[in-house]
Amino acid sequence: MLLELKNIEKNFGNKKVLKGISFAAESGKAFGLLGRNGAGKTTSIRILMNVFPANKGEVLLDGKPINYNKIGFGYLPEERGLYPKKIVIDQLVYFTELKGIGHADAVKVVDYWLKRLGMSEYRNKRLDTLSKGNQQKIQLITAIAHNPQIIVLDEPFSGLDPVNAQLLKNVVKEQIAKGKIVLFSSHQMNYIEEFCDSIAIINAGKVALKGDLNEIKRNYVRDRLVLRTTNPKPIEKDFGDACTVADNGSIIIQLNSPDDKQNTMKRLVENYDIDEVKVFEPSLNDIFVEYAGEKV
Amino acid sequence: MNQFGKIFKFELKGYLKNKFFVGITLFLVILIAVAMFIPDILSFFDSDDEENSSPDFPVMLVYTNDSNLSSTAEKYFVDSFTGYKVKMFDGTLEQVKKQITSGKAECAFALNSPSSYTYYVNNLSMNDGNTAVADNILQNVYRASAMIKNGISPKQADKIMSVQIKSSTEALGKDQTANFFYTYIMIFALYLVILLYGQMVATNVATEKSSRAMELLITSAKPTSMMFGKVLASCVTGLIQLVAVFGSALVLYNINKSAWGGNMFIESIFNIPVNIFLFMLVFFILGFLIYAFLYGAIGSTVSKLEDINTSVMPITFLFVIAFFVVVFSMTSGSIDNTAMKVCSYIPFTSPMAMFTRICMSTVAWYEIAISIAILIGSTIGIGFIAAKIYRVGVLMYGNTQKISSIIKTAWKA
Repeated sequence: MLLELKNIEKNFGNKKVLKGISFAAESGKAFGLLGRNGAGKTTSIRILMNVFPANKGEVLLDGKPINYNKIGFGYLPEERGLYPKKIVIDQLVYFTELKGIGHADAVKVVDYWLKRLGMSEYRNKRLDTLSKGNQQKIQLITAIAHNPQIIVLDEPFSGLDPVNAQLLKNVVKEQIAKGKIVLFSSHQMNYIEEFCDSIAIINAGKVALKGDLNEIKRNYVRDRLVLRTTNPKPIEKDFGDACTVADNGSIIIQLNSPDDKQNTMKRLVENYDIDEVKVFEPSLNDIFVEYAGEKV
Repeated sequence: MNQFGKIFKFELKGYLKNKFFVGITLFLVILIAVAMFIPDILSFFDSDDEENSSPDFPVMLVYTNDSNLSSTAEKYFVDSFTGYKVKMFDGTLEQVKKQITSGKAECAFALNSPSSYTYYVNNLSMNDGNTAVADNILQNVYRASAMIKNGISPKQADKIMSVQIKSSTEALGKDQTANFFYTYIMIFALYLVILLYGQMVATNVATEKSSRAMELLITSAKPTSMMFGKVLASCVTGLIQLVAVFGSALVLYNINKSAWGGNMFIESIFNIPVNIFLFMLVFFILGFLIYAFLYGAIGSTVSKLEDINTSVMPITFLFVIAFFVVVFSMTSGSIDNTAMKVCSYIPFTSPMAMFTRICMSTVAWYEIAISIAILIGSTIGIGFIAAKIYRVGVLMYGNTQKISSIIKTAWKA
C-alpha cells in the first residue's frame, strides 16, 4: 500500500498553514514527519485523518482517493483525551467496537494489549486516576487494538519515560514488521532516526526535505572530517579557520571540496598523532536544524 | 446503524450510571410516595383528635350598633362562615381593632347599615373571599327585610330567598376542567425534562470536547451516529425516569385509593384516556428530541464548560416563551386563541401547544396530522443539521464562535 498526500493546502481564516504539502508513506516502513512547533505537522495529520478537509489537494491510497469507511485507521491524536471519568476497560472496548469489532473480540484484544503494556492492574480503574504516561499508554491501545492497516501517531513519545518509550518502540517495530503503514510525527530526532525509513521535514507549511533517511544522509555533502586526538594543538594551528572543536571534544575540519577528502585524511594520519579520523556524517538532528532551522 | 447502536448503548449506560440521575430519580420516587400516603398519614393523626373537641377555628367578630341588624346578621354569618367561630362583639370599634392586632380574632365585620360595612383584617391574604360572602349575606338580609316591609310574610320571604336552581352541564367538545390537571402536569413535566436533559446533552458534548476525546470520536464514528446515539440515549433516559416517577405514583395511588376517597383532582390525572396518553408520548418524544438536538449542537460549539450556560440561553428563552404562551392560554381558558393556533404548527412550540389543544379543545384530525408531520420532519432535519454543526463545532477551539460562522462552516462541510 502507498499512502500519499498530494499538494495539500489549508487555510485557517486568512492564515495559510499548509502551502502545498506532498509526501508518501509505504507499507512495511515507518514514515517520520518532522517539523518545528507550528510547522504544520498536526494539521497535515488531521487532514490525512479526515478530521477536517483540505482547501486543496488530495489524499490517495494506491493512487485512488482514499475511502475512510473501508480502510482501517489507527490514530493517536496529539491532543490526548479519552473520557476521564469512565472506567478504562469500558472506554477501550467502546472505541474498539466503534471501529467495527464485535464485543467479545474487543474485550479480548483490549485485555491482550493491557497485559502487553503492563496496564492490566488499571483495567477497572477510572482513567483520571492514572498518571499521564499511563493514560498515554491507554490512548495508544485505542490506536492499535482494532488491528488497523494504517497507524498514525502524532508525537507518540512525548511524556513517556525511557522504559515506556522502549515498550512503545517495540510495539511500533512489531507493527511495521506486520507490513503496516506507520506514520509518525515528532520533534524528538533520536526516535525518528531509530526506526523511520523515510522522512519529510515540514517547515512553515512546506516540505523542506523528504526521502529515504539513509539516502539523505549519504547524499549529504561529504566535505567535513571528524577526528579524535589527544594533542589537538598542532592541528588547530596548521588548519586555522577550517578547524572547529565540537561539543564532545572532537575536531571537525571543513574541506574546500569533497575531493580533498582522501588527501587530507592521509596528511592527517601521517603528520599528526591521530586516534581516529572519518568523514563527518550528519545526524538527523543536524539535518533537521539545517532544513527546519533556517528561514526563521 | 451498528455504530449508532454501540454509541446509544454506551451513552445510555453512562446516563443510567450517573449518580446525579439515580439520586434525583430516587428522590422523586420517595417524594411521590410520601405524597401518595398523605391521606393515610393525616387520618392516622386525625383519629385521635376527633373525639376530643371540634377543630380550632379562627375567631371572626361581627360588630354593629343596629340591634335589628344584629339579630338577623348573626344567624346568616354563622351559617355562611362555617370555617370561623363567629362572635357578636359588644364594645367600641377601637376594641375590635385591638382584638385583631393582638391576634385574639382573625377578622371583623363592622356593620354600619344593612348596605354598608367595613372589613377589618390583620394581613389581607390574596385569596381572601370573606367580603364577597359578606356582600352576599347583607344583600340577602336587605332583600328579606324589604320583602317583609312590603307585606310578604317572613316564611314566604325565606322561601323566595332560598330558591334552589337545578342545572346540568354537558360538554359537547372537551371538558377543560377535567383535562386541565393532566395537561398541566404533562406540559410541566415536558418543560422540566427538556430543560434538565437539554443541559445534560449540551454538557455531555462539551465535556467530550474539553477532554479532547472528540478528535478520536469523529475519526472513529459518523457524526450523525454520534448525535443521534447521544440524543436518543438521553431521551430514553428521560422516559425511564418519567416511567419510574409516574409508574410509582400510579402503583402507590392504587394502593392508597380508598384513602384518597375518589379525589377529583388526583382521579383525573390517573384516568387519562388512552388516545390522549399516546398523543402525550408522541409529542413528548418529538419535543424532547428536537430540543435535545439543538442543545447538543450548541454544546459542541463551546470550548469551555463554563461557557455552556450563556450559549444555551437563546434556546432556553425560545422554550420558556413557548411554555408561557401555553400556560397563559390554559389558565385564561381561551385555548384556541391565535397565538396557540400558530404555535401548534411551529415545531419548537407545537409539542406543548398542539397537545394542550388536543386535550382541552376540539381539533380536527388533519390539523393534528399536519402538526405531527411538521414536527417529525423538522426533528429529523434539525438532527442532521445538529450532526453537521457537531462535526465542525467540535474542532473549533478558542473563543466562542459566532453562530453565523458556524452555520457557514457547517453548510460547506
